[in-house]
Amino acid sequence: MKNWLTQNLWRHVIGVSICLFSLFPLYLVVISSFSSTGSLQLTSFIPSEISFSNYKLLFNDPTIPYLTWVKNSLIIAGAVAVLSVGIGSASAFAFSRLQFKGRKQGIQLLLLVQMFPAILAISAVYVIMERVYKFAPEIGLGTQPGLLLIYLGGAMGVNIWLLKGFVDSIPTELDEAAKIDGASAVQTFWLIFVPLASPVLAVVALLSFIGTFNEFILARLFLVDMESRTVAVGLQQFIGGQYSENWGPFAAGSILASIPIVIIFLSLQKYIVSGLTAGSVKG
Amino acid sequence: MNYLIRGKVALVLKIVIVSLISAVLLMLAQSAFAQREYVIAAYLAITVLLLALTYLTKISIPLKFFIPGILLLTAFVIGPILYTVAMSGFNYKTGNIISKQEAIDLIQLQGTEASPDGLAFDLKLGKSGSEPAILVSDITNLKYFVSTERNRIEINPADVTLNDYGVAITAPNFVTLNDSELGGADKVYSKLRFKYDGDYFVALEGLETGIVSRQVLEYQAANDQFVNLIDGTLYKDNGRGNYSSENDESAILEPGWRAPIWFENYIEIFTDPQVREPLVRVFIWTVAFALLTVLTTFALGLLLALALNKPIRGRRVYRSILILPYAMPSVMSILIWGGMFNTEFGAINTLFGTDIAWFSDPNFARAAVILVNLWLGFPYFYLISSGSLQAIPSELQEAAAIDGANPRQIFRKITLPLLLQILSPLLIASFAFNFNNFNLIYLLTGGGPRNDLDGEIAGATDILISYTYKIAFGSSTQDLGLASAISLIIFILIASISLYSLKKSKVLESFA
Repeated sequence: MKNWLTQNLWRHVIGVSICLFSLFPLYLVVISSFSSTGSLQLTSFIPSEISFSNYKLLFNDPTIPYLTWVKNSLIIAGAVAVLSVGIGSASAFAFSRLQFKGRKQGIQLLLLVQMFPAILAISAVYVIMERVYKFAPEIGLGTQPGLLLIYLGGAMGVNIWLLKGFVDSIPTELDEAAKIDGASAVQTFWLIFVPLASPVLAVVALLSFIGTFNEFILARLFLVDMESRTVAVGLQQFIGGQYSENWGPFAAGSILASIPIVIIFLSLQKYIVSGLTAGSVKG
Repeated sequence: MNYLIRGKVALVLKIVIVSLISAVLLMLAQSAFAQREYVIAAYLAITVLLLALTYLTKISIPLKFFIPGILLLTAFVIGPILYTVAMSGFNYKTGNIISKQEAIDLIQLQGTEASPDGLAFDLKLGKSGSEPAILVSDITNLKYFVSTERNRIEINPADVTLNDYGVAITAPNFVTLNDSELGGADKVYSKLRFKYDGDYFVALEGLETGIVSRQVLEYQAANDQFVNLIDGTLYKDNGRGNYSSENDESAILEPGWRAPIWFENYIEIFTDPQVREPLVRVFIWTVAFALLTVLTTFALGLLLALALNKPIRGRRVYRSILILPYAMPSVMSILIWGGMFNTEFGAINTLFGTDIAWFSDPNFARAAVILVNLWLGFPYFYLISSGSLQAIPSELQEAAAIDGANPRQIFRKITLPLLLQILSPLLIASFAFNFNNFNLIYLLTGGGPRNDLDGEIAGATDILISYTYKIAFGSSTQDLGLASAISLIIFILIASISLYSLKKSKVLESFA
C-alpha cells in the first residue's frame, strides 16, 4: 500500500488536477448552453434548470442562419482540405522525387515565403480582391470562392512543406521499380504514390480542415453577408457587442460545431500527433 | 479508374479540360483588361499560356506537378508580399489613399464655396436635347429654370407642372430621367456644374437638391499646381503626396495621394520616438510572451508526460480529457476564456471569490493571456513529450540507476537533456508561432488595456503582429505604409530566427 502511494498517488494527483483545469471552461460552456439567462456565469456547479431555449433559438430563429453557417464552414474547410492536399501533394512529390534545376532554390523560397506573417499581407490581399471584384464579382471581395482561393494560396506553403516530409519518408524502391517498367513520372504519381500515401494525405487534409475551420480574421473581413458567414464569425457576433453579450446561443452553437471536430481529433489522435511532430504547429 | 482513362481518351479529355480552364481564364483576363487592371490581366494571360505549354507539350515534366501550386502561391502569397514591400515605400495612409489623378479631381470637385446667401434649390434630373440638364425650382420666388453645363433658360411658371411639394417636374424641352435611369445617373450628374450666374453654378447635393457655389481652387496642369482664385495662394506638390501652400508648408489640400517616399517609413520607425517607443515596448512584451508561453506549456506538458509515463489505471481517460483543449476549435475556446475573465460576471472571479478587473490592469491582463495560452498549448507538448519519452532508450536510465543516481538526478542529467535535444526544433517552432499568435491577442484582449488619453494605440498585451494590424486597419487613422514597413522588419526577424534554428537542427542540409 505504501509502495502504491509513493509510486502512483502523485501521478493521479497531477492527472486529476490538470484534467480539472482543462475541463473547467468546457464544463462552463456546457452549463451555459443549457441555461436561459444568456450569461457565462458560474452560479453553481450543478445547474438548477436545464433549458433548451438556446439550441431552439439557433435552429428556429430565421434571423440566425446557424445551419447555413455550419454548412458554409464545412464546405469551405472541406474544399480547402481536399484541393490544397491535391495540389500540394503534386508539388511535394516533385520536390521529393524529381531531379530538376532550381529544386534547392525552390524549397528555400517556399520556406522563406512561409515565414512571412500572413496576417500582415491581409491589406494587400484585400486590395487585390477588391480589384478582382471590379471585373469578376463572383470571385472577388466578399465571396466564398474568393475566400477559398485565398485560403488555398495560404495553405500551399505549409502543406507542401509538410507533405514533402512525408514523401521523403516513403521508400523509393517502388517508384524505381515502376520507372524501370517504363512508367512516366505522372503515372508513378497516380498509380504508385497516391495509393501508397493516401493515409498520410488524409491526415494532412484533416489538419488543413481544422486550421481552416478555425480561421477567423480573413473570414470576418471578407464575408459580410449574414448568409455567407462561417460558423466562427457568425457565432462571434453574439458576444462581440460591448453591451449585448449573449453567451447562451454562442455556447450552444460552439458545442454543436465543436463536437464533430473533437470526435475526429480524438479518434485520429495518433496520426495527427505524428503529423504535428513532422513540423507543424496547430494554429 | 486510372487504368480506364488512358491513351487517346485521356489525351482528348486533357485537351478539353485545359481548353475549358483556359477559356474561362481568358474571359477573366479580357474583363480585367477592360477594367484597366493590367497586372491582373497579365497574370491571367500568362497563366493561360503556361497551362497550355505545360500540359499540352512535353517542355518540362516537373512543371506539370508544380503549376497549380505555383500559380496559387504567386497570386495569393508572393504577390501580396511584393505588394506589401512596395507599399512600405509609400506615404500610404488615411488621407493619402487614392492616386494622384483621383486626388486632383477630388480637390477640384470639393474646392468650391457656397454663395454668400446660401442658395439651395429643389431640382429634377433630366436631359435637354442630348445634354444632361436639371430642372430647378425656386419654390419661395416661384421661379423655374433649366440649366445645362453651358447655359440657363428661364421657364415661364405657366409652362411647368408641379408636384405636391411645389417642385417642377416637367418643362418644355426637358425630359425627366425615369427611375431606372436615375440609378446610374448619380455618378455622372454629381460631377457636373450646371450654369447659374456669372462664376456661380449649381452643384448637386444628393439627387434632388442643388447648391449654388463657385470654384475656389483651380488646377493648373502646366505647372502641376493649384491656385486659390480668391486670395491667389499657390499650392504645389510637396513630394510627399499633398499640395501644400508656398508660404506655409503645413497648409495642405485634402485629400492627398499615395506618393513614393522610399525609406521614410523605415527611418520613421527608428527615429520618431512616437513610433519607436511603443514599438520597443511591444517588441519586449512579444518576446516575453512567446518565451513564457513556450516555457509554461512545455513545463506543464512535460510534467504530465512524466506523471502519466507509467501504465497507471485510467491513463487513457486522462489522455482523452487532457487533449480536449487542443481538440476544441481554438477561436471558440479563446472567446469563452474572454467571457470567463469578465470582472463582474466572470467565472474566474466567482470561483476564487476575487474582484479583479482582469482586462483593465496591464499585469493582470498579461497574466490572463499567458494562462489562456497555457490552457490552449499544454496538450500539444504533453502529446509530443510523451511520445519522445518513449523514444529515449531505457538502458541509459537503468545504467544511471545502477550507478546509484536518484530519480531526480536521472531526470536532470539524462532525460531532460536528451528530450530537449529531440524537441528543440519544435520548441523553436512554437516560439515562432506564438511570436505571431494574432488570434489569441485579438480575440482575448484586443491588445488592451491601453491608455486612450494620449492617443496611443499600443496596448499592454499587444504583440508586434496585433499592433501592426492596428496601425494598418485601426479605427481612427490607418497607415498602410508604416504597417508594411513594420511587417517587413518582423518578417526579417522571424526569418533569421527560423533559418538559424533550422541550420542548427540541420534540416537545411537535407536539401543538398
